[in-house]
Amino acid sequence: MRRAGFITGALLAVLCAVPLRAQQTAATVRGQVVDDATKQPIAGAQVSVAGRTALSGADGRYVISGVRAGSDTVRARRIGYAPATQAVTVLGNATVVADFSLSPQAVGLAEIVVTGYGTQSAGDITGAVSQISAEEFNTGTIATPQLLIQDKVAGVQVLDNNQPGGGLSIRIRGATSVNASSEPLYVIDGMPVGTGAGGGLSAGRDPLNFLNPNDIASITVLKDASSAAIYGANAANGVVLITTKSGSGGRHGTQIEYTTTFSSSSVTRTPQLLNATQFRAAVAANAPSKSTLLGSANTNWYDQIDRTGYGTDQNLSVTSSGDNTFYRLSLGYFDQQGIIQQSATQRLSLGFNYDQRLFNDRLDLKANVKGSRAFDTFQAGDVLGNATGMAPTQPVYDPTNATGYWDWPTNQSGPSNPVASLKRSVSQGTTWRSVGNVQAEYRLPFVANLKANVNLGYDLTQANSANFQPNNLAFQIRQNQGFLSLSNNSQTNEVVEAYLNYAAPLNFVPGNIDLTGGYSYSQSHGEYPYFQETGLPSNLLGINGISVGGASVIQNSTNIVDYKLISWFGRFNWNLNDRYLLAASVRRDGSSRFGPGNQWGTFPSVSLAWRVSEEPLLKDIRALTDLKIRASWAKTGNQAFADYQQYPTYTYSNGQAQYYFNGQYTTTIRPSAVDPAIHWETTNSYNVGLDFAFFRNRLSGSFDWYTKKTTDLIFTVPVAAGTNFSNLVTQNIGSMRNTGVELSLSAKILEAQRSGLGWTADFTIAHNANKLLTINGSNGVTQIQVGGTGSATGQTIQVLQPGYAINSFLVCQQAYQSGKPVQNTYVLPNGTTTTGCTSADWRPYKSPWPSLELGHTSSFTYSNFDFGFTLRASLGNYVYNNIAANGGSYQNITSGNVWPANIDASVLKTGFTAPQWLSDYYVQDASFLRMDNITLGYSFNVSGRRWRVYATVQNAFTITGYQGVDPTAAENGVGIDSNIYPRSRTFTGGLSVRF
Amino acid sequence: MNLRIFKALAVAAPLLVAAAACTDPTVAPKSTVTGANIWNDPNSYAEYMAKLYGGLVLTGQIGPNGPGGEGDISQIDEGTSEYLRLNWYLQELPTDEAVIGWNDPGVPDLNLWTWTSTNTIANAMYYRVYYQVVLANEFLRQTTASLLASRGVSTTLKTQIQQYRAEARFLRALAYWNGIDFFGGIPFVTEADPVGGPPPKEAARDSIYRYVVSELSAIKDSLPLPSAAVYGRATTMAAHMLLAELYLNAGVYTGTANYAGALTEAGTVINSGYYSLNPVFHNNFTSDNNLSPEIIFAALEDGSHTQTWGGMTFLVHAGCGGSMQASWFGMDYCWGGYRMKQQARRQFSAGDARGAFIYGRQTAIDSTTAERMRDSVAGKAKSSWTAVDSSVTDSVINIGSYNYGAAGPKFTNKTSTGGPGSQTTMIDTDFPIFRLGEAYLIYAEAAVRTNTNLATALGYFNALRQRAYGNASANIASAANMTTDTLLAERTRELLFEGKRRTDLIRFGKFTGGSYLWAWKGNTPGGAATDAHFNLYPLPANELSANPNLTQNPGY
Repeated sequence: MRRAGFITGALLAVLCAVPLRAQQTAATVRGQVVDDATKQPIAGAQVSVAGRTALSGADGRYVISGVRAGSDTVRARRIGYAPATQAVTVLGNATVVADFSLSPQAVGLAEIVVTGYGTQSAGDITGAVSQISAEEFNTGTIATPQLLIQDKVAGVQVLDNNQPGGGLSIRIRGATSVNASSEPLYVIDGMPVGTGAGGGLSAGRDPLNFLNPNDIASITVLKDASSAAIYGANAANGVVLITTKSGSGGRHGTQIEYTTTFSSSSVTRTPQLLNATQFRAAVAANAPSKSTLLGSANTNWYDQIDRTGYGTDQNLSVTSSGDNTFYRLSLGYFDQQGIIQQSATQRLSLGFNYDQRLFNDRLDLKANVKGSRAFDTFQAGDVLGNATGMAPTQPVYDPTNATGYWDWPTNQSGPSNPVASLKRSVSQGTTWRSVGNVQAEYRLPFVANLKANVNLGYDLTQANSANFQPNNLAFQIRQNQGFLSLSNNSQTNEVVEAYLNYAAPLNFVPGNIDLTGGYSYSQSHGEYPYFQETGLPSNLLGINGISVGGASVIQNSTNIVDYKLISWFGRFNWNLNDRYLLAASVRRDGSSRFGPGNQWGTFPSVSLAWRVSEEPLLKDIRALTDLKIRASWAKTGNQAFADYQQYPTYTYSNGQAQYYFNGQYTTTIRPSAVDPAIHWETTNSYNVGLDFAFFRNRLSGSFDWYTKKTTDLIFTVPVAAGTNFSNLVTQNIGSMRNTGVELSLSAKILEAQRSGLGWTADFTIAHNANKLLTINGSNGVTQIQVGGTGSATGQTIQVLQPGYAINSFLVCQQAYQSGKPVQNTYVLPNGTTTTGCTSADWRPYKSPWPSLELGHTSSFTYSNFDFGFTLRASLGNYVYNNIAANGGSYQNITSGNVWPANIDASVLKTGFTAPQWLSDYYVQDASFLRMDNITLGYSFNVSGRRWRVYATVQNAFTITGYQGVDPTAAENGVGIDSNIYPRSRTFTGGLSVRF
Repeated sequence: MNLRIFKALAVAAPLLVAAAACTDPTVAPKSTVTGANIWNDPNSYAEYMAKLYGGLVLTGQIGPNGPGGEGDISQIDEGTSEYLRLNWYLQELPTDEAVIGWNDPGVPDLNLWTWTSTNTIANAMYYRVYYQVVLANEFLRQTTASLLASRGVSTTLKTQIQQYRAEARFLRALAYWNGIDFFGGIPFVTEADPVGGPPPKEAARDSIYRYVVSELSAIKDSLPLPSAAVYGRATTMAAHMLLAELYLNAGVYTGTANYAGALTEAGTVINSGYYSLNPVFHNNFTSDNNLSPEIIFAALEDGSHTQTWGGMTFLVHAGCGGSMQASWFGMDYCWGGYRMKQQARRQFSAGDARGAFIYGRQTAIDSTTAERMRDSVAGKAKSSWTAVDSSVTDSVINIGSYNYGAAGPKFTNKTSTGGPGSQTTMIDTDFPIFRLGEAYLIYAEAAVRTNTNLATALGYFNALRQRAYGNASANIASAANMTTDTLLAERTRELLFEGKRRTDLIRFGKFTGGSYLWAWKGNTPGGAATDAHFNLYPLPANELSANPNLTQNPGY
């Protein structure tokens, strides 16, 4: 308040003093620069009058003070636009408004791109940055923001687990880490929402689905390290900046928009299993003594658990744009049923953006608040695994069983009835989350072009989960005799940031500079209480009650985790004649996750760009609209690993891991093995790129080559026995490299003249090669087996081995005879065959990572119709078909002590009598071509209101040679297909109207 | 004082504090106990000792195992990483006693003699040994007189801790014994080597042997004397028994035999008066075997409080398969794991109670027409067995099928009176590591090999046979009949599946080479001669890259 008072006082003093010294006072020229076509504000436009110059802000507004009285010409120019002039007559001490509407010359270059702690126009960008705005977003039934940009950005892989409401993960230019997270940092309206999958806490499937995708104005992906480096120790996986819709910059006045969609999803593909007839025949042939166990039913268990899932998305927003006050209020309700019964997601969301300009636009106050309640339900228990394993000859219901469902007797292990699990168990999560911030931008008086920014933000989450499985489910009779778990996790994050920005033309040398420097403080406090009991005395209470007295085993725990990140950052941009561009930034991060002596890390970046097309020699080539060559280097960090890794901690045992000592069962304590010197992973990246546009932007695109080497990779590696409290200690050891190329092309093939046909086609192509270089420092050689398959105890199928992509498969080469795999016979590297697949014969073979990813979007407009589709192709990605590997042999029915389980249909081809888990037969090429989205829309006006109706098909079809359920959903891209959630095809019909 | 300066300071001080908070990223754990404060709790000493003892049966801090990755030993399934289960795999699977048809990582290689330096089981055993050693070392470091004094530990607790220290050294000695037995020369670390220090040097097998012997000699009298109160703890007699085991195998470990030492130590245990043979052999392996007067040292399990997927939980579950009913053994269901090889099965004669649990075949058995191998032991011809299925034999022709080989469910979760254990998934039965029956056999063997005390030895030998047969009918007549072959065969019958077999076969010179063949030895169904390098397991490949001071055992 004091400060505001001071400012007001100062302004009043200035105003009061003016009449007395009229001849000496200077006037102010202010206004807004907007795009003539879109009416969107243009930032960074250079506006000059009478030798004074200013740059327009993100909202397009500019202020030039100290203009001497008289008639003059105000000039505005911006790269990508035709320069404009306006004659003004300035009276002493008055404020004159001069708004500019610039006509674009090459729209792509003028687009405002959100960057870390600021904005830039696309033409000035020196790194690899892709921004996708709302018009380009994917449509249909979209639960989480990440799906908006699926297939849209070269080098950005959005991996989906098919479930309603998310479980998405994003890889920007490949995975850069094995044991820390490879997820990007998400920043929502300047508020970083944490690292790790989706950023933050959730009791649902995806932490980011608290955000209503309809509230998002644009998503910017900072792909190369130089653009991301301003986020320092959180930037190694790239940064995703999400900007939400606001009132500012829109049409003057108040506008109400209502959109509604209804959707229907159905299953595309389920595992290929034996049907009842085939199963009976298999049992009769291979385990005749068990034929008597088989029932007379004919049950397709997947048919019993799946459904057509319906969904709706309702959004209402009010946007108001005044002279100095702007706001947007939105209300959203999203509800989607999964295609497996009991799985669903619901979200009720509220968003409010408020923007107030004060003191002649000197002060800009913004408040963004998002709040939502998400309610996720899950199919409880191993429903998919049991649907795969349950014999198709058995019935669903059994009136003689107390539960009403048929199940195998529980004296032997075996699958249990998935329908009973579905109907009688509960698994759900409720997430309350609110993210908000207040930002103040103040153009300092006395120093022209200097702005001070303060950003105060918070992120609150309450995530409650509850799971219940009754004590008389077959699985529970065998194992726990009933299960209940409850958790009430909460997390509070706070951010305080302050930075100064100075953007001005230079008078002594040509060009403009843009300097930013600041400080950021963020802290996080999480509490994670957890309760679990097994051996339930009764099922009456479900998730709603705790029956401690009667339960046999109770586990209670609470965990409190605090975290701090303190940073200083600075950036210097220099634009010389729009031709030579230089950007350099540095961030110094101090994190509570780094061990003593390693608390601070410095992350610099440098990038250069040369706009060749602006050179006099090329300027006259009319076909060439733009040509820019870019190069950058940066060092970024990854600290997305657990807290307190550097502290040796002691863990108490639970009540089931006590030892009889001193006459009683005594809780045990275990010291943890730590390396106190643990610190961030470092990624050094180089990027060389080319942006081009031809024929007045009819054809534009960019090409990038990059290589990034991550060192100090955190690995949990073997340490010399006898030196620590575990055979493995987590250390900064190891390195990997990702190298790739990306090409994006955008072509306006047909330009819609009035009522004509318009066609825009976008293509993305990306290739990334991942290679693990070392995993154990200088000691080299060793390999780490990963990728548990759950078949045999401790069985793994993948490997981390230097020289190979991470998560390469570790298998034996299957031998074939007349096209048929020969059981237990494998080919050695020297070409001879061997019986059995022992560890000496294992070889790294293929990996889950695609060698080439292609995306294509075509958008057509004709009259009031719009039509578009998005295609995606992925080549060279492999998946271990664990359903076939684990369930594709007659051992499912011959082995003793277990009830006969259904068999993967691959057995009809292989005839295997025992599982061949480590055969490369099951490492299958999962390359695919998928029609991700087809949309047809029609827009029309009814009594002055703009209406649009549209229909979308998501996942229209997939062409793949992969034999399993879905080539993409395998464990979020890590390539193991173990009873994954089936993929759905979704039809969505939508309507939107603006008042 | 200048008021303005004072006021300025009053304003500046909180600002400075605030500024420090804004530039210092340190955050110490709040809800976790750290190495900095754990020892401020007087209970932590007993809790640490419970962990050290628990290291024999528990695998982590969440019983029976955590949701994933929380085990003490990494890179192996947590349930499999249990000390005695690993020991059992390594001691039994390559021998004439047992086979398991599972394809769990590392298991097939042990069945087939194809193990390498990446064998999951051998590697985990190696790390389990050092887990115990490092835990014991840390306890000894944290309980020095000066540290205890600095923490103001009470005199009562100090006295107790002195005994704990001796027990920790016993458990370290036990681990080192397993270490040199399986792996030969291995890294040597004591409490003098700090956590996080440089990779330790390798010590020769005999030098660690001498260290372990000296440790046991030094602590044996600081350990408590046996009593019900210290059941399951390291006692003076447990130390003597461990010395007996070491001396018995001294020839293997050092090249110089010391059977006289073994004779003395076993004699000390036998004559101590603390132990007597359990009149019912089988009651050493029931869920109330803590009551058996025969057990010298055991790892304690409890279905409710000490849960593990290793130890007896493994032995009881995995010994049951085919059409056997899990309920016969007081548990939920059978795992269909290990069976006997024919070479072991055929060493049991009719009337031997130690063979009464052996089943002939595993299919088509029910509780009433249980066709047990004792039919054949009783002398019935195979053709007269009930409902003979010719595809089923006691010969392990096929490892993968439970139909081949004889089931031998020696261990049970039922009490000696047939009552149930505390629950059916987790087993109550304690794992006997040393028992008097073995002390008798050590004595007998040492006497025979030193040609001394033969009459006493014969008495002990016959005591076991008399217990097995219920009368003296199967006693052997004279000490001259106690040949090495009889002694080894008697060890099969007495100690079958108790996790000592490989060591015995090595001592008798029969583990490798071709003098004694059994099913699947040398990766052939009928057995083949094997190379002598298999007498040692390899050091883990990972260990060799982490510790450049080590040399791999020859042949790997």
